[in-house]
Parts: sequence; C-alpha cells; structure tokens
Amino acid sequence: MLKWLNEFFRLAKNYIVFALLISLSFFLISTNNNVHTRGLQVLGLFTTSYLEAGIHDVIGYFTLASKNSELQNENARLVDLTARIRAAMAENQQLREMLKLRQQTRTILIPADVIGRSSEGGKYSVTLDAGSSSGVRVGDPVVTGTGLVGIVFAVSEDFSLVRTLLDGDSRIAAKLVNASADGLIVSGDFGQLAMKNVSRRYVVNPGDIVETSSLSSLVPPGIAVGMVTKATDEPGNIFKRIDVQPAVDYTSISAAFVMQYVYPPGASRLEHEKGRSRK
Amino acid sequence: MTKRVLVYVTLGIAAILIQKFLDDFAAIDMVSPQLIILFVVYLSLREGQLFGMGGGFLVGLLNDSFATHFIGYTSFVGVVAGFVAGFFFKESDVELAAKTFNFAWISAITLAISELAALPIIASGELNYFYVFLKFTVGTTVYTSVFAMIIVFVNGRKSHYV
Repeated sequence: MLKWLNEFFRLAKNYIVFALLISLSFFLISTNNNVHTRGLQVLGLFTTSYLEAGIHDVIGYFTLASKNSELQNENARLVDLTARIRAAMAENQQLREMLKLRQQTRTILIPADVIGRSSEGGKYSVTLDAGSSSGVRVGDPVVTGTGLVGIVFAVSEDFSLVRTLLDGDSRIAAKLVNASADGLIVSGDFGQLAMKNVSRRYVVNPGDIVETSSLSSLVPPGIAVGMVTKATDEPGNIFKRIDVQPAVDYTSISAAFVMQYVYPPGASRLEHEKGRSRK
Repeated sequence: MTKRVLVYVTLGIAAILIQKFLDDFAAIDMVSPQLIILFVVYLSLREGQLFGMGGGFLVGLLNDSFATHFIGYTSFVGVVAGFVAGFFFKESDVELAAKTFNFAWISAITLAISELAALPIIASGELNYFYVFLKFTVGTTVYTSVFAMIIVFVNGRKSHYV
C-alpha cells in the first residue's frame, strides 16, 4: 500500500503541486477585498511609483520636443477655453446675483503628470506624480482639458493612484445634457462606458453629451464624461441601454489635474441628519 | 544550484521591473507583451515543470504586489504557464528548447492556454467576453509571441526545429 502511495505521489507530484498552487492563487484572488491584502498591494505600488518616476524622467527627456509641441497646442486650446470660461463666469455672476445665491468656493486644481498606467484584470488605473504633499486626497476627482479621468483611490506622499471610469469598480453619477436625465456611468464594452438607470421614457440620441451630475457627491457637476454613441431600448427592461464614448483618451493621457473638490458641507450634514432621523 | 537560483531570482526581479516599463511604454491599446510569462516559460524549459510552476507562482505574486489588478491573478497565469511549458521540457535538449525559435512557438502555445485559463477572471463583471478574449487573450498572445521572436532573433541564434 505504502509502496503504491509512494509510486502514486512520484508520478502525480507535478499535478498535485499544480492543483495546490492554483488553489492558493484562487484563495489570494478571493481575499482581494481584505484590508491587509489591499494595504500590501498599495505599499508595493508606491514602491514602484518611485521607479516609474525615474523611468518617466529619462523617457521624458527624449520626448521633450513632441511634448513641447503638444503643450503648445494644449495651451492654445486652453487660452480659447479660458476666454469662454471668463464669459461664462461673468454670465454666471450675473445670474447668481439675480438669484441671490452665494458664491461657491473655487475648486483648486493640482497639476500632475501621468507616470504609469495599468489595465490588467479589468482594473484600469493611472499613477500620478502628485501625492499628499501636493494636497491630493483620497476621493479627489481627476480631470483633463477634455473631461473626467476618474477618482483618486490611494495616496502616498509623492504619488497617487486614480481609478479611471473604465475600471470595473467605477460608479459615477452622470447626466444627459439634452434629455436632462440622470444615470450612473460604469465601464462598458469595447473600451467604452455605459450609462445605466436611465428610464426608457427619455429620448436619447447618439451625439448627446454626458456630463457629471449635480447628484454626485464625488465630483462637481458639469464635467464632460463622454458622448452617447448608441442608445437602445431592450425588451423587458425599463431602462435604456446607452453606450458612451469617453471624453478622455485613457491610452494617451500624459497630464491631468487633481481637483480639491469638497461636497458642500451643508448638503452632506443635511443628508446625514435626514439619514439619522429615518433610523 | 544555489548560484543558479540566485541568477533566476535576479532575472525574475528584472523581468518584473521591465514589465512595468513595457506596460507604460510598449502597450498598444493597453495590451503589453508579458515578459513575466516569457521568463516562466524559460524557467520551465530550463529547469522543468515543477520549478516553472513554483517560479511562476512566486514571480506572479511579486508582480501582483506591484500592480493594481487582483493579487493572485499573475500567480495564477504564472502557474498555468509553468505547467504548460513544463510539458516541453526535455533534459537532454535544454539548450535547443530554451534558446532557439522553438522558444517562440512554445511561448505562443503557453501564452494562449494560460491567457485563456485566466479569461473568466479578467472578464468577470459586465465586460464583454468576446471583446476581452480578442483583446487580452489573442492580443497578448500575438504581441508577446512577436516579442519572444525578437528576443530570440536579437540573441542571434539560428533557427532549429525539433
């Protein structure tokens, strides 16, 4: 018997080790939401961020000319945008005065370079070279000139990690500008986004603009999210199926701004009190 | 043996660091060549299936600690790659298998199987299976195989087929 067992283990040794290691891998995957596992990963990520920053600097030296040209174009576009924002601000000021609304605090923008991108396992994130020393906090929205990139989910002193809208875990409240319908932006198929929870009674057409909603407590309203590419009604579903082309090209993003956005404290206090009174 | 293990540890760490570099600068639409899997294939062809699986698990685990995806994901792919590549291990033919163009096609087969095995993990949630299959399974296999051929070609080895 012992001899038979010994022979069995000798022959099946590789298969037994294979099964054990595969089981161990699945166990690790299943513990991914564990705080200690995540903590270990965040520590590892920040360690490599220093290395990535070094590589980024070296590569950056060779791409200075093209980056310079890119920035000049971006600068020209921003000058035009600033002019339009100034006009909008003046109009906004007039309307606020008319409505006797209080001037909200201006959101501070922290510039940062993208020094890393990751897209494995349905997780789409970018690494920025700005961290808590620059004022970046977990939960801060990240934007470019074209729209919303994502939300900061981990911060070290010098670096921060951003969960992009393409990430499977990303959920952002958004609004269809033309239809005035609110919904939820999640990752979709073929590198696109999907807008959920929009009732079939709304008329949605390809080309409609999607921007962040005033219902969101994570991001300020009015930031471009994308454009509707397809909107269909599915039998048996009370909601529309909406595909959205992201406003930001995640594959070529090289710089971004972190917004120091604070959800109006009065609103969050009221929601908190309302939640408590319900209990 | 200790010296050889140390060499493999150094190569493994180098593969992880270069992988980070490739993810940032050689990715085409977020698909990058999987140098870590090539390292695991090399390990299996040089030292056998058991060593390949163990090495694949460890190097995968270390890589997962430095990436934003699931911890355990690359370990899983590494173990499968080590297991599959181990079937091509011939003690008498180590040099032939690990250092010629055989390495490229063995890598292609190993990658295709390991990426296919990992498909249910990366395609979980609302992502389209076919899209993920095309992009990550086929895309990664083709890109990495081309990369493997370049590595063999740059090494200046002559083509030998078993």
